[in-house]
Amino acid sequence: MLDIMAKVIHNISEKDVAFADIRQETHASTRIMVVNGTLRQFSRATKAGAVSRALVGECWGMASTSESLTAEICKNLLDDAVKSAKANAKFSRKNLDFSGIKPIEKTVWQKSKVDPADVSTEEKLEFVMSIDKAQKTDDRIVNTNSVYNDTKRVYRFVNTAGSRLEWDELRTLAVVQPVARQGERMHFDYDVKGGRAGYELIQQIDPNSFGADCSKEALELLESEKPPSGKMSVVVDGGISGLIAHEVCGHASEADEVVKGRSFLTGQVGNKLGSDLVTMVDDGTLKNVSGSFPFDSEGTPASRTVIIEDGVFKGYLHTLETAILMGVPPTGNGRAQDYNRRIFARMTNTFFDKGDWKDDEIIADTKEGLYVVKAMSGMEDVVGGGVQCSALKGYIIKNGEATQLVRSMSLAGKVLDILPTVDAVGNNLDFWGGTCGKGEEDFIPVSTGGPHMRAEMVVGGG
Amino acid sequence: MNLIDVADKTVQFAQNSGATQAEVYAVRVKTVSVYIDDGIPKIGGSMIESGIGLKYINGTKIGFTSSTLAQEKPADVVERAKALAHASNEDPMFVSLPDPKKVSGSPDKFHDNETAAIDSEFLMEKAMDVVNAASSDIVTIPNGSLRTSSIQYHICNSLGVDVGSKGTVAFGFFTAKSEKNGNVGEGVQRCWSREIGSIDFKKIGEKLNSQAMSVLNAKPFKEKWEDVVAILTPSEGSEMMYQLVASAVSGENVNKRRSPWSDKMGEKVASDSLTIYDNGLSEKGLLGSIVDDEGVPTQKTTILEKGVLQSYLYDSYNAHQVELQSTGNGIRRVPRELAGRFAIAAVCAGTTMEIAPSSKSVDDLISEIKRGVYIEHFAYPLVDSMTGTFSDEVRNARIIENGELGDQIKYALWVGNLFDSIKGDLQLANNLEVHDKKIVPSIAFPGTELVGQ
Repeated sequence: MLDIMAKVIHNISEKDVAFADIRQETHASTRIMVVNGTLRQFSRATKAGAVSRALVGECWGMASTSESLTAEICKNLLDDAVKSAKANAKFSRKNLDFSGIKPIEKTVWQKSKVDPADVSTEEKLEFVMSIDKAQKTDDRIVNTNSVYNDTKRVYRFVNTAGSRLEWDELRTLAVVQPVARQGERMHFDYDVKGGRAGYELIQQIDPNSFGADCSKEALELLESEKPPSGKMSVVVDGGISGLIAHEVCGHASEADEVVKGRSFLTGQVGNKLGSDLVTMVDDGTLKNVSGSFPFDSEGTPASRTVIIEDGVFKGYLHTLETAILMGVPPTGNGRAQDYNRRIFARMTNTFFDKGDWKDDEIIADTKEGLYVVKAMSGMEDVVGGGVQCSALKGYIIKNGEATQLVRSMSLAGKVLDILPTVDAVGNNLDFWGGTCGKGEEDFIPVSTGGPHMRAEMVVGGG
Repeated sequence: MNLIDVADKTVQFAQNSGATQAEVYAVRVKTVSVYIDDGIPKIGGSMIESGIGLKYINGTKIGFTSSTLAQEKPADVVERAKALAHASNEDPMFVSLPDPKKVSGSPDKFHDNETAAIDSEFLMEKAMDVVNAASSDIVTIPNGSLRTSSIQYHICNSLGVDVGSKGTVAFGFFTAKSEKNGNVGEGVQRCWSREIGSIDFKKIGEKLNSQAMSVLNAKPFKEKWEDVVAILTPSEGSEMMYQLVASAVSGENVNKRRSPWSDKMGEKVASDSLTIYDNGLSEKGLLGSIVDDEGVPTQKTTILEKGVLQSYLYDSYNAHQVELQSTGNGIRRVPRELAGRFAIAAVCAGTTMEIAPSSKSVDDLISEIKRGVYIEHFAYPLVDSMTGTFSDEVRNARIIENGELGDQIKYALWVGNLFDSIKGDLQLANNLEVHDKKIVPSIAFPGTELVGQ
């Protein structure tokens, strides 16, 4: 197949396009879901497709299909992409020069200790049943939900620079979500373990503690109170510091938002934005973490990009195009959800780097405030730099101790006001895998992470 | 591939290989798109995807698999599904796939030929209509996307279901950035329709411009107001109401006992002013179709009538468990992204949520509020569907004092409990709008808080 793609891309006329590429993908995933002790879903989903892109002036055309990729179909795809690019190019204001892109020829197959394909379906099923059973610790646990998922994506890529690549990405995931109910009150909790790794990641999980510990926390939420509202000292766990890194600083560091001046971080390189304790990184090369990969969707190797170092803003996350526009090397952040979707600047594994404090020292050092844990969701504000991060729960801190459990809250504020107030950063760095959308769609695997951190933020809870 | 032939053939293969029941969902989606970037059409694209999802049942053991059939044949897919079913546990909750039912209407009823036929050049012109209407010296259009999709799907099962439907969706999402004297603001507009000809792109651009301009004058809200009435525009209120209600009336959640309305059938759970339908036959609904994704005829189901819970929503799996009929809510499709849905088995979900409007205008609602807030845009409207709690960041709003709109505000948190709020003096306007799977007017929610930063 790679030969077919290479031949088609080789035959395209340089007069027609400034650059073009073709990417073929196959996706296969296994999903096992158990609900209340009963197998609810056992599925194996596969799909395959190819997409071609062509650049004319500064405008792109793309065409994709799920048909089997013959030479004729491959050529038709490229022709369709060129046609769309030419149609858009009547609005083009400049020509982009992609001639400096270096060709890469490489095959990278992911090495896992235990390939999920070599694990029997019975063993996988037994694992999910065991984590589901472990959640049923109390009659007040009225609903247990358990999921196992593995996905393997294989990519083949060629471009007009002469690159010829093959690689794969294998990820596994386990999730528990018990629901506790007492009278009219109902709360859930969750736990997730996942990464770019094989089945060895699942084998490292103790099913009993994974399920039972989560149920214990769901039961505790039945006694939770409404959180306080207003501006206060907030200590966040690594999941929430990672969410802030991702949603606010991460999305605004995506260079496609910078070259058109939409991001509040436009023109901030070299400026001091946070306290000396704030260092933030995007690193697609981390081992075993969900957002890692050998090459992005444009065939650029993944890399480590320091976004903020000791409070000073250092740089952006680039596609091929934004790197050319800003005169810097590409960083391997040009990513697409799949063959049906566009490529643009996206994050990989994004995190605040660790500091010197022990987690419990940060709590003990806080006279009054809120200790917020378990990230739920967040939303970017690339233009304004605002924060909206929601969390499942927290604890009121009084005289250096975490006391009353409180439920469901959002953290808000302007990140340029928050980062200078960071005055304690923990020495543990954890990562949580998930998916990230941009502009409410285009979901890709990423991870966020960070240490415990303390800063001044606005809290609101329902 | 011919969808009907592939679906029929795959079900036959499954039966011949020993399946006691089998179901195939075969689908083809064609999408044309244009992405606006920095005020120009940056990417034009076209996509065609076909695929099948196969449910293979052996007694009460179920295996589900899917394929685009690019690299394998239907017989290979059947063998994989059979292996999954073989390795699977018994599902004591499974009773049967749906039986065939009489279906009314043509499969083309919800398909718009004009929308299905357009190309990316046509879309490019429409997207530029938005850009041109929105742009000014201080307003730019950094991002936008506009796409149309046509879908044809067919369901075939071993009990005799052999039926399909077609549909079209046009969707647009645009952002505007305003900048003046160091202040910045943002406008966000979405458009949804089954018929691209019904969308007024110039009007969207003008609204985008005025929204971005008005945010420039917004001041951060610094107070803390309790017992506030908040009017949410249809784009924001529809999202929160759908998250809350669709989850609470899902037959799956009710059966699992994770719905707060599990034991409340026939009880009053909301204000008299709230009447809600799930309408699979909605004329304007983006999932309008003659059958759901299991081949069950769609219907209009009353969920709440004057605040009283009337019905839950069921797919066949969950309906059979409680000896009821499916309400035509076995759903795979989502309006915003129709591609790839063959890879997911049907789940119990809403089709189009329609909230009955009142005869009052938005101005009437505002005039009745002593102290409140009119919210046009959140960072993203979210509510915990289990507890009803929410705390959402307001990006674009105006305060309401003594029945009139006041200052433009931003950066506040709107906080409360939506289950509690809809039991209060809930007021609805008459300005129905289509947003995703919902057709909803502006709604005034009582008993909430506004927390400044």
